[in-house]
Amino acid sequence: MRAIKIQNVSKSYNQELILDDLSLNIPSGQFFTLLGPSGCGKTTLLRLISGLETVDSGKIFLGDEDITYQPAYKRRVNTVFQQYALFPHLSVFDNVAYSLRIKGVSEKIVRHKVLHLLAIVRLAGREFKEIKNLSGGQQQRVALARAIACEPEVLLLDEPLAALDFNLREQMLIELMDLQEKFKTTFVYITHDQSEALTVSDSMAIMNHDGQIEQIGTSEEIYEFPSSCFVANFVGNTNIIEGVLYIRDNQIEFKVDGLGDFWVFVPKKKSWMVSGRKVFMSLRPEKILISKKKMENFSNHLVGTVLNVVYKGRSTLYKVRLKNGKLILAFEQNEEHFPQQEDICAQDEVNLYFQKENIVLLER
Amino acid sequence: MNFVKRILQEEYPFIFALPAFMWQLFFLYLPLVSIVVFSFLEFSPLQGFLGFSFSYYVKIFKLVYLKVILNSFFLALFTSIICLVISYPVAYFLALKVKRFKTLFLFGLVLPSWTNLIVQIYAWFFLLERRSIISKLLCYIGIFSEPRHMINSYFSTMIGMVYCFLPFMILPIYTVLEKMNRSLLEASSDLGASRFVTFRKVILPISLPGIYTGLLLVFVPAFGEFVIPSLLGGAKKAYWGTVIVDKFLISGEWRSGFAIATVGVLFLGLFIGLLFSVFKIVKVLKTKRFKLKIQASKK
Repeated sequence: MRAIKIQNVSKSYNQELILDDLSLNIPSGQFFTLLGPSGCGKTTLLRLISGLETVDSGKIFLGDEDITYQPAYKRRVNTVFQQYALFPHLSVFDNVAYSLRIKGVSEKIVRHKVLHLLAIVRLAGREFKEIKNLSGGQQQRVALARAIACEPEVLLLDEPLAALDFNLREQMLIELMDLQEKFKTTFVYITHDQSEALTVSDSMAIMNHDGQIEQIGTSEEIYEFPSSCFVANFVGNTNIIEGVLYIRDNQIEFKVDGLGDFWVFVPKKKSWMVSGRKVFMSLRPEKILISKKKMENFSNHLVGTVLNVVYKGRSTLYKVRLKNGKLILAFEQNEEHFPQQEDICAQDEVNLYFQKENIVLLER
Repeated sequence: MNFVKRILQEEYPFIFALPAFMWQLFFLYLPLVSIVVFSFLEFSPLQGFLGFSFSYYVKIFKLVYLKVILNSFFLALFTSIICLVISYPVAYFLALKVKRFKTLFLFGLVLPSWTNLIVQIYAWFFLLERRSIISKLLCYIGIFSEPRHMINSYFSTMIGMVYCFLPFMILPIYTVLEKMNRSLLEASSDLGASRFVTFRKVILPISLPGIYTGLLLVFVPAFGEFVIPSLLGGAKKAYWGTVIVDKFLISGEWRSGFAIATVGVLFLGLFIGLLFSVFKIVKVLKTKRFKLKIQASKK
């Protein structure tokens, strides 16, 4: 179990630059997620780590060992492929035993290990099934058992749940987390699904469309303190509002054309936070309280007209048009079983309240 | 009655398969069955139909005919093996390594077989005779001391056979390899297999159905081949096919011809059936033994 260090790696396909001077440290023993939009180069990065592609420039380390040009079959890094890539001519047992047998492990130990693994992934009793007779979730679990069979230092998972339906996906996510805890292997999980990433990761890296890492942090850090508009938008829903900063003493004000001033609280002042600078603020929809009544004890207040109301089960989404014509989203938890007394409908005039701590200032 | 009722009620898909079944019956089994039946019938030019008899089988119950069938058997066997050895690399590179002009290469492979077989064979005459380029080249290298005829020999027969049957081996293997999911190769190398191990444990087993098909497609017609051995082999050796042709076209002993044909088909069927059953039994026994071991280690 060693950490992965990626240093200034570049890679291009057909003269198209996919990864440009990318550096990233993946700590050992963690469930690490690479989250990014489709086609941003995260699979390419994974293939570089597994050795299925070689870098154009840069270096990759596994612990202290330089594995940049080590062939894939020598690396102690295994992959769970997106389409599983299970061997169709082998049974479930033989698929899982593949890497052990290549290593020349004795058949007795192979049997012991494979049966143990199959029990862990809940496939006991299906050892001799053919791959084509398994369901998607079962195939997924075979792929997982196969990849983990020879105890890799790093397990790479390339959107392994993309082909499964919603309920199965939730279930498999929890199983993956359990497995990671059991094996203590470093998991590098690739996904474009932010809710998956938030659920499973110890820490994650967000990649943008250009294949650059925007931010690295825990789920909470990423969600609550996004470092850029891209991250704020990509992970969860948010309202991005453009405005100008004013700093007086230690108070920060955020001025928006046509809306007035907001109070902003910043835990740690950044160098770019200077008076008169044009910046953005991110405000999560669920941090806004929407009400027809007047309320006290909120640092910021806005007025708007409800455009439409979308009932989403656990919450209701309100689309509100502000005085300056901009739209803002607000989520309200549906805590009560019966409709709230205060029923907000389209065309209603509403007050929006939020605290200054809930605003995140973003440079870009 | 019950049987008919059951067929109509439960196995009605069978009814939809009837046209295909009839087609097989008329075009495949009927001719074959008629050959077998005719081989048992006795006619006399004057009295007509005399009845069933084994007389023609008794007539061909000679060591010569066994030798003829064995000749054909080995000719087919060698042809299949040589074809396999040559075809596999070709199919492999065509399917997995060649990126562009794939169709062109495939087209080039089958193009020669579009010409008439006789023309193809006579082309080899010019290549294998004494004054041919090949003969001169071999002389030049020093393999031959003087220019030699290479036709009318087992060697030239084999060349003709392999040449004609090669596409039937390449195409099925190529098809299987082409269809193979490439990510399996990546998965294999990811799991620690070198290229050679990947070939042995993934590519080769997956291409086995193609190899079996190719062997069947080459072996069966090669067993009955008569044009190539009689033209390129100089009719030095008798084969199953050549003997049947002789019986029908030259000596006019049709009944003996039918009998020889039947024996040959029987021989072929038995051989292939035996091979298949041995494979099957070995496979079943292997899995059974393995399952028992698994059961044992579970306890």
